[in-house]
Amino acid sequence: MNVEAIKTEDLSKTYSGKQPVQALKGVSLSIKKGELFTLLGLNGAGKTTFLKIVSTQLSPTKGSAYVLGSEVMAQANEVKKHIAVVPQDVLTYGNLTPWEYCYYFSLLRGKSKHETEKVSQKALKAVELWDLRNRRCLELSGGEKKRAIIATALASDAAILLLDEPTSGLDAVARRKVWVALRELVEQGTTILLTTHMMEEAEILSDRLAIIDKGSVIAEGTPEEIKHLAKEKFRVVIEGNAHDLNLEGNSRTKLGSKEIVYVPDEDQALELVKTSLKKGVKAEAARVTLEDVFVKLVGRGEEA
Amino acid sequence: MNLKFLKDAFIIAELKAIPDLKRNPSMILLIAVISSFPLFYLLVFGGSLSYGLVGAMVATISFIGLAAAIQDISQDRYVKIREMIVAMPVNSISYALGVALGPLFISAPGLIFFMVLAVIQGALPVWSIGWAIASLLLCWAAGSSIGFIISTYLQRASVYTLNNIANIIGLGLVFIAPVYYPEEILGSLRWLSIVVPTSNTAGLIRYYAGTMQLPLNMVLIRWLALAATVVVSMIIVSFKAKWRET
Repeated sequence: MNVEAIKTEDLSKTYSGKQPVQALKGVSLSIKKGELFTLLGLNGAGKTTFLKIVSTQLSPTKGSAYVLGSEVMAQANEVKKHIAVVPQDVLTYGNLTPWEYCYYFSLLRGKSKHETEKVSQKALKAVELWDLRNRRCLELSGGEKKRAIIATALASDAAILLLDEPTSGLDAVARRKVWVALRELVEQGTTILLTTHMMEEAEILSDRLAIIDKGSVIAEGTPEEIKHLAKEKFRVVIEGNAHDLNLEGNSRTKLGSKEIVYVPDEDQALELVKTSLKKGVKAEAARVTLEDVFVKLVGRGEEA
Repeated sequence: MNLKFLKDAFIIAELKAIPDLKRNPSMILLIAVISSFPLFYLLVFGGSLSYGLVGAMVATISFIGLAAAIQDISQDRYVKIREMIVAMPVNSISYALGVALGPLFISAPGLIFFMVLAVIQGALPVWSIGWAIASLLLCWAAGSSIGFIISTYLQRASVYTLNNIANIIGLGLVFIAPVYYPEEILGSLRWLSIVVPTSNTAGLIRYYAGTMQLPLNMVLIRWLALAATVVVSMIIVSFKAKWRET
């Protein structure tokens, strides 16, 4: 039987209080084994709530969530055997070393000392922290600390990794190191659910992704499929005086002296570039990015 | 019996204590020095050193136990280690036990030092060591469970506020209660020394050491009071503590 790695049905969560907040509104998702699935959304969209419910940390108000066929509320202990979590904005204990993080957390999963040492070594090498393994977290940079926690999750050898904005706060080089490690894990069969608000990360890393906005999934598919949801498939970035270009009817975003003009196809994009260049205005055409589509879908772009 | 439950508690205790001890071994000295301050005053201004040594034993085990139960839990929330552990196949009781056991590792050297000193000084006859250890363990459990009440009910307080509360309560339980001085001084308020786990433990050790007389029924009441502190505290904690958020 081919059971999904993660499946949710009509998952809803309302945080009670003087002003109740509905963080998730009937989210139904299916994440296959061995895929890297990204939940992409703005801050406060409901990504962390979703991840917390799936990781058994939070009770849903309505609906169900399953991890490898086990229900997260009723069979939480079974679910926990298969998952490892990196919480959002996680910090480290200054006195612990990356090695100790991996070692102790791996031991807690019931592994033998020999196994623990093996997986810890593999995890620390994967995030390129092996040489710093015995340095206290206190002495590590922000990115190195984050990688230590990611290594802790990797050392769990769990079938499913749930990573809440794992690369936020990392510099570009550190981020790419993490991406490489995550993709390698996926190639080896690990399922990864990660949340991010970084479009580039979602586009490059994901096998599939869901855009979540105000607690609801508004789009789901591969990055390419999501990009095809937009009516305009191409963008032209114009720099300079665009008044004479007759851009009426085109969707546009003004960014200071630059203007992004969205057009339905490549021919129109090239035509606009030609016209612009003829009139002495710099122009460059490209396919729309995930970010372009995302901004349109969540409907909070600054359209001109 | 589920051995993983106990094994996990010891792993968490090791995680909490051993790296700190490896990198800051002076912690052991600090705890011993804090606990031995009153001994200095007893020596200079006069007083019973045997009372002081019993006090130092109780202080060594209870001050850090209570403080750690508060500080570790709040710190774990702050750095989000707790979130990682909740999502692991680890029982909530193992976690609590591990948090409480960690400081026991740290205070053990100081406790052994004062115990040996007490035996040498004649303040603790060898035959009473078993009773002393039993009452000290209950005192540790009581201190930790009081710490859990505070960390559970003041979840929204900052780590700094909780640290201050931990230190104030710890100092009060150890240095204000009749731990270093005879409880008879309290007169009609002597019953307070039974209610407070630290002074209760000190009283029990003194009874078994033969330096304080108590009727047998009072000895029983004292043991029950210590055990009740642990049980009642854990019941209070269970009303509010949630392993999974709601």
